[in-house]
Amino acid sequence: MATNKFEEIKSVIESKFEDSILGFDIKGGRIMLKVNARASHEVLSLLKDLGFDHLSDVTGIDYIRDGEFEIVYHLWSHARKIRAMLKVRISREAPILKSIADLWPGAQIHERENYELLGIDFEGNPDLSPLFLENWEEIPPLRKDFDTREFVKRKYHDDK
Amino acid sequence: MSKVTRLPIRPKAEAAADSLWVINYFTACGFLELFSWVGSGYDMERFGILPVATPRHADVLIVAGYVTEKAVSRIKRIYDQMPSPKYVMALGSCPMTGGMYWDSYSTIKRIDKYIPVDLWIIGCPPKPENIGKAIVMAREAIKGGFGGH
Amino acid sequence: MTTSNLEEREISFMVIPFGPQHPASGHFHAKVKCNGEEVLDLVAYPGYLHRGLEKLMEYRTHVQNAMLAERICILDPFSNDLAYVNVTEMAAGIEAPPRAKFIRSIMAELGRILSHVTWIGVISSALGLESGTRISWGDREKIIRIQEMVTGGRIYPCYYVPGGVRRDLSQEHIDEIYKVLDYIEKALKLYDDLVFYNTTFMARMENVGTLSKEDAIALGATGPNLRASGVATDVRIDEPYDAYPYVNVEVVTKEKGDSYARALCRRGEIIASISIIRQLLEKIPAGEFRVKWPMTKKLPAGETYFCCEAARGELCFHMVSDGSDKPYRVKIRGPSFSHTLSIFPHLVRGAQLADVPAIYWSLDPCPADMDR
Repeated sequence: MATNKFEEIKSVIESKFEDSILGFDIKGGRIMLKVNARASHEVLSLLKDLGFDHLSDVTGIDYIRDGEFEIVYHLWSHARKIRAMLKVRISREAPILKSIADLWPGAQIHERENYELLGIDFEGNPDLSPLFLENWEEIPPLRKDFDTREFVKRKYHDDK
Repeated sequence: MSKVTRLPIRPKAEAAADSLWVINYFTACGFLELFSWVGSGYDMERFGILPVATPRHADVLIVAGYVTEKAVSRIKRIYDQMPSPKYVMALGSCPMTGGMYWDSYSTIKRIDKYIPVDLWIIGCPPKPENIGKAIVMAREAIKGGFGGH
Repeated sequence: MTTSNLEEREISFMVIPFGPQHPASGHFHAKVKCNGEEVLDLVAYPGYLHRGLEKLMEYRTHVQNAMLAERICILDPFSNDLAYVNVTEMAAGIEAPPRAKFIRSIMAELGRILSHVTWIGVISSALGLESGTRISWGDREKIIRIQEMVTGGRIYPCYYVPGGVRRDLSQEHIDEIYKVLDYIEKALKLYDDLVFYNTTFMARMENVGTLSKEDAIALGATGPNLRASGVATDVRIDEPYDAYPYVNVEVVTKEKGDSYARALCRRGEIIASISIIRQLLEKIPAGEFRVKWPMTKKLPAGETYFCCEAARGELCFHMVSDGSDKPYRVKIRGPSFSHTLSIFPHLVRGAQLADVPAIYWSLDPCPADMDR
């Protein structure tokens, strides 16, 4: 019964988005999906219609050696009790992705946090103003080329 | 006609030490041990210490726990709004040296670069017995004539 | 010049700050735009407790990060550490011994009771029922004394490590835990009179801040806030971890979704946690309580995602490892992030100004796990 529901979801997604799906895996009872950045909004819309109604988190990861950002959407279905992870890769030079705030109103604040801490732009998000930091003039702090120990030494210890 | 008996007037310092009002500003984790003092377990109200809502009524500012860059300007403003004589206590290791977040990009490392501090209490967070010792030290100092600022 | 014709009267509004220094706001700032007593809009300004924990974790080894992880949410340290330690063990492919799993669940449920008792004090203070605060924060001491006896730390126990727990649970500890559970059961009758079935409390919380089922799911509610709106989702049952597969976990749901329903959900959870701890103490197996885990153990490259049920909701860790002894990226999903920044502004629109603290604390936010 459990494998049936995974197969059913896999067949629905693959029939509609054959060329945008880069990988479909089932690990530890969870679905892991890799998609092309162009199709992320449509695939997420389809997943929402299939019953994945709870958006748990939007994670941004900086793969500086590959020159890419990876964004992972974590979804949960209250009815089917399955967890799904959707991964999208975008370039580090021009990081922009379509916002999903129209599908889940709760996604707006997750995207705002990723914009401030990693610098990933979300097209269509109504409000991307700074959330946590005030008068921040350096590069987004969670990027791998920002060294927090060197910053603290420079700002708090060197001259005073 | 009956005689009017005048009661002896207490010295101002003794009266001040018996009614130190603390501003109700839940800064960060160090404040959790003050919850034990507010509750009926340790009960600071028997010393006359009360949490108040506005800085205009407060005598003591307790900076409990770590302070971020965003919060330090507000703390300075609250300190300026308190009327003299006022006292400042720094609770925990984070306001002293940065504590566990010494390499964080958004916390300040020393609170006494922004406001003058009278009493430092060590711990992460300090146990209620340590805070009790600090309260007793503060009361003795104020009774002995420490005027605050 | 006033006129009784509504169209000719100019509607003017005031902007009132709620926090950061406010007896009922925690360390959180919001600007409330209101017309007289009716709230028109609310804008939240978080960030007063932002330390950048996710960045700090990339500079420390996996064992050292357990100390940082428990400081995510100050009021509920056991759950944060539990999630971190489980995600590290999942990434390494090592399981803790069964006795350690039982001990972890017992302490986690005690932490849940502690968090809810603290919450009773906080909501009483926000509504002006000060005796509820003084008494419940005095009762909090009894649970903290058990924590100190078992783990050595009052507020930050630092008890869970990858591989198990630091110290064993002795028979003396178990006897004291039974005594505290009996005490809390008796104290709940006092809290019922003082707080839960007090007419003032009910009048201020009923039909205030009603969250419908569709809005709760769309805005990302989890934990008691979601269950009070009628959705029976609990990570301890849906994806059980540690010792939860061996006990019967009762999920408390209500249908109405107002602030009073959320308060009653938390009251029900205290009772359910007492029953869970009693079941765990009966079934706890003997054996070792820790497997060897070297200080600079390297985890295999890959990523892991783990969710646990904290007192406030679903707390999740997403850990990416690159094969060294430090994590490459740790993302923490705190339950209060969605509650304070998506649900709270939605609920106060149209409410009265005096209801704003009641709605805020009925969602049980922790500004520390919102900002991290």
